Amino acid sequence: MKDRFRNSVYEMKKILRDPILTATIVLTMISLVLFILWPIYDVLKESFLENDGSFTLRYLIGAIKDAENQKVLINTLMLGTVVGILSTIVGFIFAYADAFIKFKFKGLFNIIAILPIISPPFALSMSFIMLFGQRGFITYKLLGLQNANIYGFAGLVLVQTLTFFPIAYLVLVGLLKQIDPSFEEAARNLGASRKDVFKTIVFPLVRPGIANAFLLVFIQSVADFGNGMVIGGNFTTLAVKTYLQAMGNYDIKGGTALATVLLTISIVMFVLQKYWVGNKSYVTVTGKPSRERNLIEDKVIKIPIQTICFLISAFIILLYILIPYGSVVNLWGIDYGFTLKHYSYVTSLGMKPILDTTYLSLISMPITGLLGMIIAFLIVRKRFIGRGAVEFVSMLSMAIPGTVIGMGYVLAYNTKPLVLTGTATIIVIAFVFRSMPVGIRSGVASLQQIDPAIEEAAQDLGANSYKVFTSVTIPLIKSAFFSGLVYSFVRSMTAVSAVIFLISAKYNLLTTSIMSQVDVGRYGIAAAYSTILIVIVVVVVGVMKLLLSKIGINTSELNS
Amino acid sequence: MSKSKPVILKNIIKNYIGNEGKLFTAVDNISLEIKSGEFLTLLGPSGCGKTTTLRMIAGFEIPTSGEIYIGDDMVNSLTPDKRDTAMVFQSYALFPHLNIYENIAYGLKLKRLTKGEIDKKVKDILELIGLSGLEKRAPNQLSGGQQQRVALARAIVMEPSVLLFDEPLSNLDAKLRVYMRSEIRRIQKEVGITSIYVTHDQSEAMSMSDRVVVMNKGIIEQVGTPNEIYNQPATEFVADFIGVANILDCKVDEEGSDYTNIILFDRKINLKKKFNNIKKSKVVIRPEFFEVDENGKFEGIVDTSVFMGEYQEYFVNVDKTRIIIKDYNPITKRVYNTGEKIRFGINEKCIHII
Repeated sequence: MKDRFRNSVYEMKKILRDPILTATIVLTMISLVLFILWPIYDVLKESFLENDGSFTLRYLIGAIKDAENQKVLINTLMLGTVVGILSTIVGFIFAYADAFIKFKFKGLFNIIAILPIISPPFALSMSFIMLFGQRGFITYKLLGLQNANIYGFAGLVLVQTLTFFPIAYLVLVGLLKQIDPSFEEAARNLGASRKDVFKTIVFPLVRPGIANAFLLVFIQSVADFGNGMVIGGNFTTLAVKTYLQAMGNYDIKGGTALATVLLTISIVMFVLQKYWVGNKSYVTVTGKPSRERNLIEDKVIKIPIQTICFLISAFIILLYILIPYGSVVNLWGIDYGFTLKHYSYVTSLGMKPILDTTYLSLISMPITGLLGMIIAFLIVRKRFIGRGAVEFVSMLSMAIPGTVIGMGYVLAYNTKPLVLTGTATIIVIAFVFRSMPVGIRSGVASLQQIDPAIEEAAQDLGANSYKVFTSVTIPLIKSAFFSGLVYSFVRSMTAVSAVIFLISAKYNLLTTSIMSQVDVGRYGIAAAYSTILIVIVVVVVGVMKLLLSKIGINTSELNS
Repeated sequence: MSKSKPVILKNIIKNYIGNEGKLFTAVDNISLEIKSGEFLTLLGPSGCGKTTTLRMIAGFEIPTSGEIYIGDDMVNSLTPDKRDTAMVFQSYALFPHLNIYENIAYGLKLKRLTKGEIDKKVKDILELIGLSGLEKRAPNQLSGGQQQRVALARAIVMEPSVLLFDEPLSNLDAKLRVYMRSEIRRIQKEVGITSIYVTHDQSEAMSMSDRVVVMNKGIIEQVGTPNEIYNQPATEFVADFIGVANILDCKVDEEGSDYTNIILFDRKINLKKKFNNIKKSKVVIRPEFFEVDENGKFEGIVDTSVFMGEYQEYFVNVDKTRIIIKDYNPITKRVYNTGEKIRFGINEKCIHII
């Protein structure tokens, strides 16, 4: 252990020879500390310290002992578990259909997977209310129910499952497609039936992936703020309660105590996912399959699975179509006549949040892209002291619920030395650090595919670290880089949980505007905003993809 | 070229952290002097420290202790881009996003040469390696051998003081490898740059090098010309690693200033040479140094007899010792079968004692 430490200190000499590299590492670390760790520290500090600075567990115990909070905690865990299980099951069915079954509508799966990414996080809640709410199209108009109540546990479970199962699907389809078909053929050859093959080969091989999918969905469900706000009703979750406690009741101490609990759950799950299950997934499955699998055409298997997938897909697409539809009807639930009045309202009174959001998202896009690639490069290629910490912290920001980080930003940047609240800067920073992990992940994955000797060759030929990065590394991982850009823009446009703490009279954002319109029941305007948001995202992403494909860059990695 | 410089390694030690977190010594206190313009090969099995040594000279790794000199300058604290070395990588490491011309010009641009100078140099080097006309191709449009030559050109065009080769031929098929050996040697002689070549392939080492350094487990076993390495191996490891060797126990009976008498297989042999550094009292005899001869001094029983084309290979038991004999041109000779008695002699000039 001592040898090991001494040696890694020694290896730092190699980094320290290089001033550009050293400066980059230091700056990266500072930015991670400043914009991820410090806000979290402030949340913890607030919840564990009295105003005079002495340590206390009073607020935490108070928060946990409170009967209502206990119910909130149980709600949250129960919701996460149920949504995690359901999403994993649905995701598995889709993944199995995609990887194993001959199927006509596989194109649908990509759409289903991308829709939740390009729309506001609570889009499905809105559609659900429009369908099943008090004035819901199905409940009120078709069935004539007077007091339909979609708000609460059932509504949240359905909405979250439909929103988050694509995560499980993407994790599992990757794994299933990687299984070498010769395993299954070998098993069949040894006398296993198709059912045996599934039970003894396929399922055991993806079992770590299933655990992984469950945990990823669980983390998302627990952190989900938007749906909880919109459709949660009396069923309060921790993320919502934290926000209400701090911003509604102005009980910062109580809010931070709840945030601490929320953060703990997320981090435990994240660590579990990354270090316990995450590593196992790759042990059992080796590389790319040698050849393509013969897809199943047996009707007994095909028809039921195909039906399930088709129905779910169709339903989801219908839900999304409701949003633009809802934006052009007079008064949802009462008068379904065509109108453009919601759009004229938006264009005359509410353009500012649209422009601000787009503008700030565009600003944060290149920052996120570049910073993400730099961090990926450092993590994969450089052995410096603190590398593990940089990797952990930068990926951690994916698991930290937006509510927690949002609150941390408010606490950390409200006072000196860094006063940023109410500025555009803080929103940009939030956008950058919230959407960076995905860029880092795809950067890391791309870099791992690339022979480090190529960069060494450049350095050997006289390129310094900066030159190596710009003339070799970035061109080699340009797909990941541009995917990171696209994703950053999309994610910033649709962000809500962290930035809801940071908006001000000066800078209001699109998602929060939609939310407040939903809150007062103006679904037409909310739907109009949402439609505009989706259109902006689709147009910007489409234009970028078009421009990039003109210069020969493929950004299809965005989907995964 | 007058720019060529010597390389001196002084007491180099390199420690690594292995997989289990244990410290392990990849290079254990080696010292070596590579002369200006020399072609020197680091040869050894995988994990012997040869690549680590090369990468320390290039600057990709730093020694845990010891000093590296290129010419008169101590280069330990210089990053690879500041060192006057150019490396040819095992995987070629051509830039996939640049064409052949741009690949070769990459380093020249960083040197801030003018367009005209770059153009001339790239054209000349393409001529030298015989790839003129392929400037616009992408690396993946070239064959393995062509990529190899581009990698070589990209290094040589920099006119470095030292050229470094990291197993550059290991990805080529056998025939091309033999051809490229002589190509590399030809080009190296033409430009006259000090070259350090890493390989685990002994025939590469033997055919290209002025001197060979045999490494094992982080230490240098022997430094010598290919001839010395083969015929006068310093250690049992070298004898065993280079070619095929019978390493047999013997007894040194008597030593004089210009002769050595030994006893091998209970027979006395007079060698007209004095051996320094006899440590283990073992003889090294290559299989082809035995002479199958009905009147030979020694006798054994053939255990296995295999026709190999250019020679007949015998595994022979002499008392309880098993030896390998290669008898060349078997078609002109009597061939012995399993179980037969065989008599043979030893060409005494070829016996080496360690």
